Amino acid sequence: MAALLTVDNISKAFGGVRAVNDVSIEVEKGAIVGLIGTNGAGKTTLFNIISGFLAADSGQVNLEGEQITSLKSHEIAQRGLVRTFQTPIGFPRMTVFENMLVFDKQTKHHFRRSISPFGANRKIPEDVKANIAKNLDSIQLGDQHDTWLQDLSAPDLKLLEFIRAVQSDPKILLLDEPAAGVNVALLEELEKQIRAVRDKGVTCLIVDHNVGFICSICDYVYAMADGKLISKGEPNAVVADPAVIDCYIGSGGAAQQ
Amino acid sequence: MEGTLLFLMNILTVGAIYAILCLALNFSAGIDGLWDLGLVSFFGIGAYTYVLLTAPEAASYQDYILGLNLPIWFGVIVAGLLAWVLALLVGLPALRLKREYFLITTLALSEVLRQIYSNELWLTNGVAGMYNIPPPFRNGDLSPTSASFFLFLLLIGISLLTLWLVRQLTTSSFGRSLKALRDNEDLAKTAGINPFTSHITSYSFAAFFCGLCGAFYTWYTTIIVPSMFTPDVTFFVWTALIIGGLGNTWGAYLGGFIFILIQEGLRFLPVYGEAATTFTSLRVALVGLILILILRIRPQGLIGERPLKTRSLTN
Repeated sequence: MAALLTVDNISKAFGGVRAVNDVSIEVEKGAIVGLIGTNGAGKTTLFNIISGFLAADSGQVNLEGEQITSLKSHEIAQRGLVRTFQTPIGFPRMTVFENMLVFDKQTKHHFRRSISPFGANRKIPEDVKANIAKNLDSIQLGDQHDTWLQDLSAPDLKLLEFIRAVQSDPKILLLDEPAAGVNVALLEELEKQIRAVRDKGVTCLIVDHNVGFICSICDYVYAMADGKLISKGEPNAVVADPAVIDCYIGSGGAAQQ
Repeated sequence: MEGTLLFLMNILTVGAIYAILCLALNFSAGIDGLWDLGLVSFFGIGAYTYVLLTAPEAASYQDYILGLNLPIWFGVIVAGLLAWVLALLVGLPALRLKREYFLITTLALSEVLRQIYSNELWLTNGVAGMYNIPPPFRNGDLSPTSASFFLFLLLIGISLLTLWLVRQLTTSSFGRSLKALRDNEDLAKTAGINPFTSHITSYSFAAFFCGLCGAFYTWYTTIIVPSMFTPDVTFFVWTALIIGGLGNTWGAYLGGFIFILIQEGLRFLPVYGEAATTFTSLRVALVGLILILILRIRPQGLIGERPLKTRSLTN
């Protein structure tokens, strides 16, 4: 199968620190791919480069064969690569429903249509409403669609961060630490949701610390340390890789294996 | 009795102008999160444009360019358009700045413009200003009182129209994307929203209405001097908006009227002699006091922003 997203030889330095050092990864269409590594390994920097929030010093990113390295973040999102953020605050002073609408492709953002006095172009289509209702029901937020996000609980925000990105009907989802600060019950729910989205044909690239979570859900895993790629392969193989164990629990751990 | 009514009518006329200014500011600052401290720039440009286009030729004791004696509605529209163009020109570089720097730039712009009005004598007659601007709707059959009444009705009408338009925009998908940018710009980008074009559209839209207000204001004052366009106006409109409720269209609209009522109502306090002179300056201090009280007691304003309700999603 052809790769949907290819990242070729990306490097990025902040002053003297090489946060990402010549990293190449490939994400195949329809796969769930994980990226693990300790704090400061460069995972989030790589994520920011792929999604256009940071410019790389060298290397390139391709989405479906198109070079997206120099595009702005909103242009990359328009092409179907949508990311989430670690802190899921969303749009605090907008309702759950509005949060979903912002991400819906059908309701465009043009000024010209907005001032149409007849309102025909301003009305939200019924199928969009139904689709949002379905997505909200899947995370049990259907009855809270008129609540401001700043009044929601943290677990609800976490699930909404994910389902909001799904609403934009992406080709590929980049999930930035979806399991951070999530309890066991919620984590199971999240796993279920991610699998359901993959079954609809959405590709996922997930960054996380939680090795157990990554192993149980991913088809393929990359491991980073100090800005470099240190291992890749099937989840179980990567976790057993001495280089990975080394950076997670220190060299003593590798020696005991 | 008639005097009181006339006075109240005049207050409400100015109130309507302030309400439009508040609606414009609420759109760029309350819906989109642009902290604009240069609102008076567009107000001033609108006023000067209008006067230069519609006033009669300069008399011997004055000196200003143009004085084309053009129809008033032409003047009003061009006043709005020129303010819009100025906002585009200023916005191109300024909207790329982070919010604090944008705030300083817009404030600086308003002062630069005021210096131009004061010093370019050939253009604006300098600090002496321009007098005897013919008030509209007074040629012929209308008595001064009914002309004032007509102006009052007209401006209330225009302000209601602006209210409707801004409400339409706020609840539209464009308004939604502005709110998204205000709340969380990075996340809004991942929804494919272009921050720059959205900001410049809302900023110039607001400027257009401020330009119109500038023209309307000269209808009321019939003179124009640079000291009418100090940053005080910007801060008054901000105060009015904060009293009414930042982010709420109705709050903005009513805030404009309430502010003018408070400000002008203070005239009725029984102070005489030297105290009266002191009190003129104190009025500004009182406005500040009210602002502090509002922020202390009811920071969201009289009618704060509320969740936008949708009826049931499944029907």
